[in-house]
Amino acid sequence: MNWSDKAYFCIAVTIYGIGMVYSLFLWRKGFRRDDWVVYSLLGSGLVFHTIAMAMRGFSLEQCPITNLYEATAFIMWTIVAGFLIVGLWQRLRFVGAFASPMLFVLGVFALIPDMDPKIAEGAKHDFSGALGSLHKALLLLSFGAFGLSAVAAAMFLTQEHDLKLNKFRAILSKLPPLERLEVAMSRLLWVAFGLLTAGIVASSAYLKQKKDTFFTTDPEMLWTGGVWMFYLVLLLLHWRHKQSGKRFAWGALGSFLFVMLTFWGVYLLSPLHQR
Amino acid sequence: MSIVCLGLNHRTASVDVREQFALPEARLPALLDELCENTAATEAVILSTCNRVEIYAATESPPAEMLEEVCEFLLNGREVEDDVFYAHSGISSVEHLFKVASGLDSMVLGETEILGQLKAAYQLALEHKRTGGRLNKAFQKAFNAAKQIRTETNIQRGSVSVASVAVELAGKIFDTLGDRSVMVIGAGDTSEKTARALLSRGAHSVLVSNRSFERAEALAAELDGRAVQFDDWESEFTAIDIIISSTSAPHYVLDRKRLEPLQATRQHRPLLIIDIAVPRDIEPEVNFLEDVYLYNIDDLQAIADDYLRLREEEVAECEAIIRQKAVELHGSLDVRSTSSRPGDDDTAGETPATQATPG
Repeated sequence: MNWSDKAYFCIAVTIYGIGMVYSLFLWRKGFRRDDWVVYSLLGSGLVFHTIAMAMRGFSLEQCPITNLYEATAFIMWTIVAGFLIVGLWQRLRFVGAFASPMLFVLGVFALIPDMDPKIAEGAKHDFSGALGSLHKALLLLSFGAFGLSAVAAAMFLTQEHDLKLNKFRAILSKLPPLERLEVAMSRLLWVAFGLLTAGIVASSAYLKQKKDTFFTTDPEMLWTGGVWMFYLVLLLLHWRHKQSGKRFAWGALGSFLFVMLTFWGVYLLSPLHQR
Repeated sequence: MSIVCLGLNHRTASVDVREQFALPEARLPALLDELCENTAATEAVILSTCNRVEIYAATESPPAEMLEEVCEFLLNGREVEDDVFYAHSGISSVEHLFKVASGLDSMVLGETEILGQLKAAYQLALEHKRTGGRLNKAFQKAFNAAKQIRTETNIQRGSVSVASVAVELAGKIFDTLGDRSVMVIGAGDTSEKTARALLSRGAHSVLVSNRSFERAEALAAELDGRAVQFDDWESEFTAIDIIISSTSAPHYVLDRKRLEPLQATRQHRPLLIIDIAVPRDIEPEVNFLEDVYLYNIDDLQAIADDYLRLREEEVAECEAIIRQKAVELHGSLDVRSTSSRPGDDDTAGETPATQATPG
């Protein structure tokens, strides 16, 4: 059987979907039992996901980030791989229950046909060299890390809500303590922020290489700068103890939702990325 | 060969009956010798705790005869009501042993203390060479079954006391209790127990504040903490992570209006407040403040009650495990299941001992 990379990706998204359904069950049960099921599901999904990305990468002969489908698949891959590492710690394994719905939604979005336009027969993908791949990879890795911090934020908000209003459910839940979730959120945000900064630097260097300028008023560059500034403010407020854990969590979750909801539109509006 | 069990517990005997039959630990070796020498028991274990006295014996004799002898041994000339003793033989005795080991037969469902007591009773009999292949295997299986039940079910999950629920709540908020400071406002008995429970889990320090400073000093000394004047406790607030309040004040000791500015000085660190006073010491609106988690006595009691309900829901699952383990053990021991009397067989379950030993 000769399966395409898309077929493997579809299998991965289906597995994430199964994970999402099981996560709803866990959510209803208040996260009482140890969660190897979601961990295993996401692990097996990652195998198919990796095969899909590797096949696409080999066919392109470069890092597979040349359109929205590939960019989304890359962000998803980063989130799953990050979860599998974080989930080695039993008390953080429930990250998967929060990550799987996000992965399924992103996966369905990536599978919309327009996200992955076919290249004309015989035409080659634009290979922009190492700097081109590096800036995309760094930016998308940072979005993956922001995604994981949003997942930790969702866990924090669930636990915080239960501790205030649904006390027995909070006690029975196997979610980590609030302080640990806040630390996880903060560290993931700092890592993501570092990657985003490195990605912006690489983008500027790449622009200099291609257009002989470090900065243009391209919508995507402005948007990325805005996102960078927002996260900087969020992190500084938290670092200076100006913000409660709950507000920090809402900030991490809300900003990631904003990034995910606007990234695609800005990408399509960007002349630099739509040649 | 069969295993039999005869005994009484908190369900069948009142405390004044139980104390008559309680066997001092120092006498157990001699009693084991006496039991094995004067009855048909080839192996024996005697369990004596505040809630139960039980004798487990392996014998070559028919179970009914053995139970009769064990009953006479335990009665030792005393007279009791007919239904004080319960008796089991064959697979029923093994199931009972497993239930005892797992805490299913305990006054506080699922408690673990009984397992330690059962292990000690078995160890004593083992050291005095009063156990053999049958009881060794049965008790080892009982300990395994208890372990399996503990890990695979929620029967031992959770706390059924106010103090331990408070500790669990702290564990849901703070990453560790190691560097946490606790303040006790009002030196009551429950607040002392709660503070002790937090200290035993590693809480760093305790401050005690009470209207009577002498009482505060006395409790602080007991808890290895520091007493604070009642009017000054707010000055220590910045360093505090957990407050346990149990004053007898007829009004709120702490309300939202007072706490809000204090909380601002704490750099958004979480604050756990346990209000065990009636009437309440802390205004309920305090719970609406960010980073503040307030629990009053009803909240804690509701959690403890929910835990108890959860344990009760787990009983059926535990009994299924026990049944399966008992059948496995019974098969491997080839315990004789027939009885010399009708209705006294292995599947008959619990048999009133007095049926076997009238009078």
